[in-house]
Amino acid sequence: TRYSLPGKPALTRCRSPEKETFTCWWEPGSDGGLPTTYALYYRKENSETVYECPDYHTAGKNSCFFNKNDTSIWVNYNITVVASNALGSTFSDPVDIDVVYIVKPNPPEKVAVTVMEDKGWPFLRVSWEPPHKADTRSGWITLIYELRVKLEGENEWEMHLAGQQKMFNIFSLRSGGRYLVQVRCKPDHGFWSEWSSASHIKVPDYFHRE
Amino acid sequence: LYMVAACKAVPISDLLDRASQRSDRLHSLSTMLTRELDSHFPPIGRMIMPRPAMCHTSSLQTPNDKEQALQVSESDLLSLARSLLRAWVDPLLVLSSSANTLPHPAQNSISNKIQELQEHSKNLGDGLNILSGKMGPAAQTMSLLPYRGGNDLGQDKISKLINFQFLLSCFRRDSHKIDSFLKVLRCRAAKMQPEMC
Repeated sequence: TRYSLPGKPALTRCRSPEKETFTCWWEPGSDGGLPTTYALYYRKENSETVYECPDYHTAGKNSCFFNKNDTSIWVNYNITVVASNALGSTFSDPVDIDVVYIVKPNPPEKVAVTVMEDKGWPFLRVSWEPPHKADTRSGWITLIYELRVKLEGENEWEMHLAGQQKMFNIFSLRSGGRYLVQVRCKPDHGFWSEWSSASHIKVPDYFHRE
Repeated sequence: LYMVAACKAVPISDLLDRASQRSDRLHSLSTMLTRELDSHFPPIGRMIMPRPAMCHTSSLQTPNDKEQALQVSESDLLSLARSLLRAWVDPLLVLSSSANTLPHPAQNSISNKIQELQEHSKNLGDGLNILSGKMGPAAQTMSLLPYRGGNDLGQDKISKLINFQFLLSCFRRDSHKIDSFLKVLRCRAAKMQPEMC
């Protein structure tokens, strides 16, 4: 069997759910036929001190989690992953990140959909809460929201931007229609969250009054 | 027709709401500019060329995480925001004059966005001046952060791009700080309107 140095690992993604902690993930390279270990090292802007990843476990395999004490914002982190086996080590390309630019919140929570009525016409009232980790109350993170709604069995979603509101009304419903509703959020300067799980609702039958 | 307008003072929460909308736009613009600049600027060029180590505003002590930021008083937060904003009046002029001769395919669009940055920055500064007048003497204090980079960003093409890109990255970071401080202030002022935050 031919053994070789480990393949070059690649830092694939770093994300912060609430601008207070962050996690980085890497993709291992080939292992060169030998047992291979991985380590993440980082250096902070204007400092020559090199630190090792504080927590390889919390965020699962091939990841490094930085808790609140390890996380500074408005500071550049220069991050490198090193793969090592008996023959030596291979370094990933370094990646520079600032936590303020990698914020991707968790989806909104407690999404509730109810059928309301206005002068005999039904409409859907959708309400939700911000992801509990995101501190919107103090203004540390500002979230905007987007909803999508569609009839069950159809492909076309109807999209609605809700701004910073946490409640939205949807009109022009199909009599007796079964609807799916999802909500997602985005920080003022960051990435959209995943969609919340779908909420199902049935609109009662009603007759058009021409 | 002579009308007497009932002069009702604009509440601080409204002023902060408007200010944070403008600071949000300011930062978004700087992000767009950064992406536009990076789209035609090989990273390798940035790696090999030396670049200034620190932004001219880095001497200003600002909070570096949420816990620190939420402990800063309202007047100090506003003072930090105003100090940062004023520190960029001169460098934005340098960026503006340099943008006109920037060796970059998107030079025209970059130049227009820098103009927009300057307008937003000036309007935001004016608004914060009004706000600080309403928030007591401590909010009036500002730190002096002189820009000593000179008017010329470099002779040759690559160093001009490198220095332009570095200055813009500093502005992008500082505009994010300003935006963050104003949004914390906005939520503190909006205590009576919990739906606002």
